[in-house]
Amino acid sequence: MNVGPGFKLTHLQAMLLFALVISIAFGFLSRRKPIERVKYIVWSLFLFFLIGVGIGWAMYPFSR
Amino acid sequence: MAGETSAPAVPQQDSRRERIAFAIGVAGWLVPGLGHALMKMWGRAVACFLTVGVLVILGAGMRGNVFNSSGNDAFDSLGYLADLGTGTFYVLARALERDGSDVSRAEGDYGTRFLATAGVLNLLAALHAYEVARGRKA
Repeated sequence: MNVGPGFKLTHLQAMLLFALVISIAFGFLSRRKPIERVKYIVWSLFLFFLIGVGIGWAMYPFSR
Repeated sequence: MAGETSAPAVPQQDSRRERIAFAIGVAGWLVPGLGHALMKMWGRAVACFLTVGVLVILGAGMRGNVFNSSGNDAFDSLGYLADLGTGTFYVLARALERDGSDVSRAEGDYGTRFLATAGVLNLLAALHAYEVARGRKA
């Protein structure tokens, strides 16, 4: 996946980048204290990753 | 007597606050983060600006679909509404995508989602700024 000159992303990287950006936005909007924001961002990112990979594996039997 | 004269001031103040909150919400929609910046919430302002900006630049770079007003079906119209949510960044997305969209590849599809998410995220941030300005959120 080529995004502009010299910037390549795999499916997993695209999903992780998406999850990171959304987690940061949600963390800053929903929490006030920096430590709470960090906790929220890390937890949200972890759940994005877990659910994304989970859904990926759930779809695996239908991919062939 | 003092109560009679001061009573109408409260609704007037509420009305003024409502108008300011609406203006802040619109500003936040037009320029991501501006609504929060006007209330001196710098962290949230920078986060909104950067996250929406990154999503728009990546989405356009992946040649995602930037919908326009002449959509053929409901999905195109909904996509257009979502893309419009980025405010002035919609113009940036169109300017960045000189070769047009290419959703025949996976990255184009990803790009379309990135752009739509940027719009919805910015609408959420603008709504948050509006609610804060009304005094309903901290």
